Amino acid sequence: MKTKLIAVAAIATTLTMGLSGCGSSSSSSSSSGSGGTIASKMIFGGPPEFKTRVDGIPGLEKNYGVTFGKYTVTDTGGPVTVNALKRGQVDAVDLFTTDPAIAANDFVILEDPKANFAAQNIVPIVSKDKATPGVRQVLNGIQSKLTTDGLGKMIGEVANAKKDPADVAKGWLTDNSLDTTGSSAKGVSLTVGSANFPENVILANIYAEALKAQGASIQTKLNIGSREKYYPALEKGSLDLFPEYTGTILTYIDKNATATSPADVYAALTKALPANLVALDQADAQDSDAVVVTKATAAKYGLKTIADLAKKG
Amino acid sequence: MIRPLDSASSSPLHFFGYFLDHRSEDLGWLWDHTWLSVVPVVVGLALALPLGWLARRYQWIYPPMMSITGLLYTIPSIALFVLIPPVLGMDPLNPLQVPIALSLYSTALLVRVVADGLGAVSEETVQAATALGYRPVGRFFRVELPIAVPVITAGLRVAIVANVSIVAVAGTIGMDNLGRLFDQGFTLSVSQPYYPPIVLGIVLCVLLALVLDLLVVLVSRMLTPWRRAVPS
Repeated sequence: MKTKLIAVAAIATTLTMGLSGCGSSSSSSSSSGSGGTIASKMIFGGPPEFKTRVDGIPGLEKNYGVTFGKYTVTDTGGPVTVNALKRGQVDAVDLFTTDPAIAANDFVILEDPKANFAAQNIVPIVSKDKATPGVRQVLNGIQSKLTTDGLGKMIGEVANAKKDPADVAKGWLTDNSLDTTGSSAKGVSLTVGSANFPENVILANIYAEALKAQGASIQTKLNIGSREKYYPALEKGSLDLFPEYTGTILTYIDKNATATSPADVYAALTKALPANLVALDQADAQDSDAVVVTKATAAKYGLKTIADLAKKG
Repeated sequence: MIRPLDSASSSPLHFFGYFLDHRSEDLGWLWDHTWLSVVPVVVGLALALPLGWLARRYQWIYPPMMSITGLLYTIPSIALFVLIPPVLGMDPLNPLQVPIALSLYSTALLVRVVADGLGAVSEETVQAATALGYRPVGRFFRVELPIAVPVITAGLRVAIVANVSIVAVAGTIGMDNLGRLFDQGFTLSVSQPYYPPIVLGIVLCVLLALVLDLLVVLVSRMLTPWRRAVPS
C-alpha cells in the first residue's frame, strides 16, 4: 500500500510539472482594491505567460493602474483569443499588431502612450559560427526591406487566401528583388526554425529561400510549438537561424529587462544573448503585443488608450 | 461536387484537393506517422514479454506491476514529450522523444495483456509440455507463448490504434507527423474555421489505424494456424 501511495505521489508530481510546462487553461480572478474602474468589470484573455510577464498584466497595473476583473488563459494571439473576443467571452485581449483578424473583425487597438509594451522589431537570431559575412549580408538585406504593412499583407495571404507560406515568401523576395542567385552564402549549412504561427513561418521561409538562392545548404524545422522548445534547440546548435522579436526574446532571456524603445531593446538584446548566438539587424517591421477590444466595447466606454480602462465606469 | 473548389475553400469536403496541393508533404507525414506508431509497439512488446512473464512467474510482482503500468498510462502524452528530452539529456527537437514516450505507453498496455495471456495457459497444458520433455525456455516460446497469442493480439490491436492517435499530439510541438495537419488547420482558422487539413488528418489517421489493425490480425492468424484447423 505504501509503495502504491509513493507511486501515486510521484505520478502526480510529474503531471503537475508537465502541465505547468505547457500552460494549463486555468483562470483566476484578482480582486485587488480597484473596484469601480472599467477594467474591473472586464475579463482579459491572453496567453498563460502574459499574466506574469513584466509587460503583461503586472506592467498594465504599474504603468496605467489598470486591473482587470478576471484573467482567462486563451492562446498566443491565435484563433482561440480572436474568437473569444468576437463572441464576447472575454472583453479585452492580448493580440499582435500584424494580426489580419484585427481589421477583419473591426477590433480596436488601444494606444499605449506610456510604452508599456516593449518594441518587437523582427530580428534574425543566428548561431555565431554560421553568421559568415555572406549570410549576414543576405539576411540584413531582407531586414532592411521588411515593413509592418508588408508583413501584414503576407499574413493575410496565408491566413485568408490559404496560400502556401513558402510561395508567399518567394513572391515577397521577387517583389523586393531579393531573389537574386549568387554564391555569397556558399558552403554554409543552416537549419532554419520557426514557431507555429503563419507570420513566423513566412519569415523563416523568406530567410531560407534567400540563403538557398545564395548557395547555402538549408534545412528547415518549421512550426515548432513553443519558445521553451525551440530556444534551447537554438542555444544547443540544432537550430542555426530563427526569426525572433526583439522584446519577447529579450524578456525570455532576461526576465528583469526594462528597455522599451526599439534602440534600447536591441542594445539590451545584443548584450543578453549567449556567446554562441548573435542578433543581426532589426527590421522596421514590428509585431508587438497590443490590448485589443471590440469596436462596440470601445464605443460603449469611450476607450482610446489603455489608460482609459482605469477610469471609473 | 460539380462546382470546382478553389484552393482557399474551407469546406470540409475540400480535404482531397488540399491533399493534392500538398501531396509530398502529406505523404511524408503519413510515413513518419506510420513508423512512429509501429516501432513503439514492437519495442513495447519486446519489453512487455519478459515483464509479463515475471509477473506471471512470481505472483507477488503482479499487483504492483499492474498498478505502476496502469498509472504510467495516465500520464498525458504532451507532459511526456515535454519531460523526456531534459530527463534523458536529449536535444529538445530530437524526433526520438516521440517513440520513446510511446514505447512507455505500449509497454504499460502490453504487460498486463502478456501476463494475462500467459495466465490463460492451463496448468494441464504446461504439465503435458513438461512431460513431453520441454525445458522452461523452450516451453515458454513453443507452448505457452503461442497459446497466449490471441490474447496478446487483442492487446496489440489496442496499443497500435492508440499510438496512431497519440502520435498526432506530438504534431502540435513541431514533430513531423499527421498531427501537423491539425496544427495547420488550427492556425489557419483565424477568421473562420478552416477544415480541409483537419479532415484530411482525420481521414489519414483512420485509414492508417485500419491498415495497421488489419496487419496485426493477419500476423496473428499466421502465427496461430491451429485456430483455423479446429473450428472453435
